[in-house]
Amino acid sequence: MNEHVFDELEAYALGALDRADAERIARHLGACESCRAEAAALAEVVGTLPETVTPRDPRPVLRDRILAAARTDTPRPTPAPARQWSFGRVRLSRVAFVGLAASVIVLGAADIDAYQRTTAITAQRDQLYALIESLRQGGREWYMAGKDTFVGAGGTLYDPRADGKQPFVLFHDLPPMPAGKVPTIWLVSPDSTWARAATFKPNGQDIQAVPINMEVAGFDRCAVTLEDSPWGPRYGTVVMESRIAPPPTQQ
Amino acid sequence: MPDQQPPDDALLASLAARDLGALATLYDRYGRLAYSLAYRILGEGEAAEDVVQDAFLSAWRGAGSYRRDRGNPRAWLLSIVHHRAVDILRRKTTFRPAPLEMAESQPSDDDTALAAEKNVEHRTVREALEALPQAQRRTIELAYFGGYTHVELSELMGVPLGTVKGRMRIGLQKMRRALERTR
Repeated sequence: MNEHVFDELEAYALGALDRADAERIARHLGACESCRAEAAALAEVVGTLPETVTPRDPRPVLRDRILAAARTDTPRPTPAPARQWSFGRVRLSRVAFVGLAASVIVLGAADIDAYQRTTAITAQRDQLYALIESLRQGGREWYMAGKDTFVGAGGTLYDPRADGKQPFVLFHDLPPMPAGKVPTIWLVSPDSTWARAATFKPNGQDIQAVPINMEVAGFDRCAVTLEDSPWGPRYGTVVMESRIAPPPTQQ
Repeated sequence: MPDQQPPDDALLASLAARDLGALATLYDRYGRLAYSLAYRILGEGEAAEDVVQDAFLSAWRGAGSYRRDRGNPRAWLLSIVHHRAVDILRRKTTFRPAPLEMAESQPSDDDTALAAEKNVEHRTVREALEALPQAQRRTIELAYFGGYTHVELSELMGVPLGTVKGRMRIGLQKMRRALERTR
């Protein structure tokens, strides 16, 4: 076994090691019970430091965002086989999508028999049911056409009319993502503030629905970029975008 | 009336079983603290929220691999928040501010004494931190909240690396003893 690392455990607990050293210590802890016990004790002390911080409340929407993201964060134990259907460069209308989604559900039912009810297909079916229900009740939509390497792909931002129904973007024909890039959906306010609405991983399917964890109202543009990180401000290249037209004026 | 809230360990077990209700409970219990910590490190609400979201989703995905011998669930969750926030801070700051005054100009928590008084452990932690000699306290705060490595702190503070390590060790030992006296 390597020598003990007691003199680095305080820095490790405080997060004050660079990545290489932290990984070295972590590997050692996996094999050394005495250092691991000391590290755990220090972690509990360091874990009290947040108690010294000024308490602040996050916006209430954060809780909903986290739960919505977890709800759609379905484990996918086996990759689903490639679908037969493709949308090419065709923009999806609402009617076409509903018909298509219904077809997918039928295919999904067949898949359940064929592929022993995989969790992924069940989740996809449930998600499509939810989408159809949202669309049935009307709403507004904006299409984002792909640019550059995303030509041929696109995404439609749907803002369901019904209260409590979550907005979402329905993508089609997403190309493979460059390594390390995080596709990110943004809503842009009239003062050019970019709000991160969702990040996602392409599922390899011809269509993919991504829920938006914020209200569309108040924004006048939506866009998709490729970011290096799933958080923080926008730095990435815009690969799709659309203006969000204001709702019609009530007569 | 007996406390009906499940303990943290049970919550993590439920998370591992993909129980969304357990995630909601965990968030209700620690979301505010996690956000406060992320905000303290990053000084920006939107980025702090992103960190908290990412940390809770990591817990959601990784609860099955949680090991009690690496620390309690609360410390584990907050360590995820801390690592994510510091990671962003380090990437955002391609160079470290040279003068110590800049490092110390980060958001201060000198106004938090009253808020921390509500809980004996909170008060103990704060008092233990405040009771440390300034050099030890500053070293711990700059490392934990400022995202500085011990090597950077050595350069920043103009002291040998061994001194930085010593300040961390003695400071944390004192805090540990103070906490043990309250338990």
